Amino acid sequence: MVARLRAVLRLLSLQASYTYERLQGVGMAVAQAPLLAPLATQDPARAREARGRSGQYFNAHPFLAGIAVGAQSRAELDGQPGDRILRLRTALSGPLGALGDQLFWAGVVPALMGLALMASALGQGIPVLFGLLLGYNLVRVYVTDWGVRLGLRNGLNVATDLSHSLLRPAAGAAGAVAGLIIGAAIPWVAWWLLGGAGRSGQLVLMIVAVAIVVGVLTRQRPLSAPGVTLGAAALTLVWRWTT
Amino acid sequence: MSDLPIVPLAAWAIITGLDLASILQGLLNRPLVAGAVAGGILGDPQSGLVVGAALELFALDVLPVGSSRYPDYGAATVAAVVYAVGSGQPWAMALGPAVLLGLVLGQLGGLAIVVHRRVNARALARWAEALDRGDPGVAARLHLIGLGSDASRCAVLAAAGLGASLLLLRFLRVDAATGEALTIVALAGGFVALVGGAMRRAGTPRRMIWVGGGMALGLLSLWLR
Repeated sequence: MVARLRAVLRLLSLQASYTYERLQGVGMAVAQAPLLAPLATQDPARAREARGRSGQYFNAHPFLAGIAVGAQSRAELDGQPGDRILRLRTALSGPLGALGDQLFWAGVVPALMGLALMASALGQGIPVLFGLLLGYNLVRVYVTDWGVRLGLRNGLNVATDLSHSLLRPAAGAAGAVAGLIIGAAIPWVAWWLLGGAGRSGQLVLMIVAVAIVVGVLTRQRPLSAPGVTLGAAALTLVWRWTT
Repeated sequence: MSDLPIVPLAAWAIITGLDLASILQGLLNRPLVAGAVAGGILGDPQSGLVVGAALELFALDVLPVGSSRYPDYGAATVAAVVYAVGSGQPWAMALGPAVLLGLVLGQLGGLAIVVHRRVNARALARWAEALDRGDPGVAARLHLIGLGSDASRCAVLAAAGLGASLLLLRFLRVDAATGEALTIVALAGGFVALVGGAMRRAGTPRRMIWVGGGMALGLLSLWLR
């Protein structure tokens, strides 16, 4: 229990030692260390091998990496062959990355920010924002702990349990919900920010319409919005200084 | 701005930077959150929320996937809020320059992440053999180096951001018409980012129906308000 909680706490800083060579590998080794501690007294040679394996290349969504930490630790404690453990690590990397990116980065985060933007437009930004912040962080810690528990329970068979979890359907639905919320937020935020800046309704509509056209036209070849904005601002300054 | 609460602002900027990737990733780095808290520290949470919302439009276009390079809007938003609140101008004028400052600092923050990861890589190269042998304590040492490196990155960004906003407050003179024009440019750019990001995240035309449906709902609710 204490070892699991220490692993969860360490997983909250998984990416501090991120490198382009091993990505989250070192962070994984740090998170796994409390779970591997019993091996050090039972079988010091095996513990050393396990520590060596735990620092190898790994990349997944940081919130779901706990599944791999738990599963690999269980396999090490059960004395599974090292090559099978490394294969598990490699096999989990891609799916946990894709699933987490879809669920959190492309789903939950934009959805919550869209809600917070709409609440801000309605004058309720601060309380809603901090409510969402609290809820999100509780879920973030819970998901990390759930992942470690799932991995520890299943070891090398974790993929089977994972495929029956709610993660996959949730990831699919999260993107659609995020699209709906962001779509709904666009008119409200335009009304709040552009209207609040004293712009007429016609100009607000025109800016949003242009943004939609540009968004559609550049869907395949995205442009750098900050770059374009800074360029347009430079042109605006030149225009203002020369007139 | 002589009574600017530098220490709490710098501390908050550092916390937001660490939250981007190294510790927690609990939305503290989102411009909306970073801006509201920075505004609160300055006694004007509403202005912080407005600046944060404008920068959030750009942040919603970013998918921090894998080892891709992405901007760090944490300290950038704090600096933008300091400029907007400190200028004392109505936000229709101050928002544009503040957002542009935030965009520049956000890109610099993204470059600084690459430097931080190279520092990690150099440490790893030095200790890789010991790590692979399973020597005790090596991973923890590398991890602490990473945490220290990112904390330093965030401190530099916080200092650069607060320094830049104070310099602009001291020397930049923007007339009302230019300020308003820059605000329109910054917000228009933000909406291009927001819409483009939503469409790319949706991916398939079928998924884009959700974005379109949301927009229709948003327009309807706005009209009925």
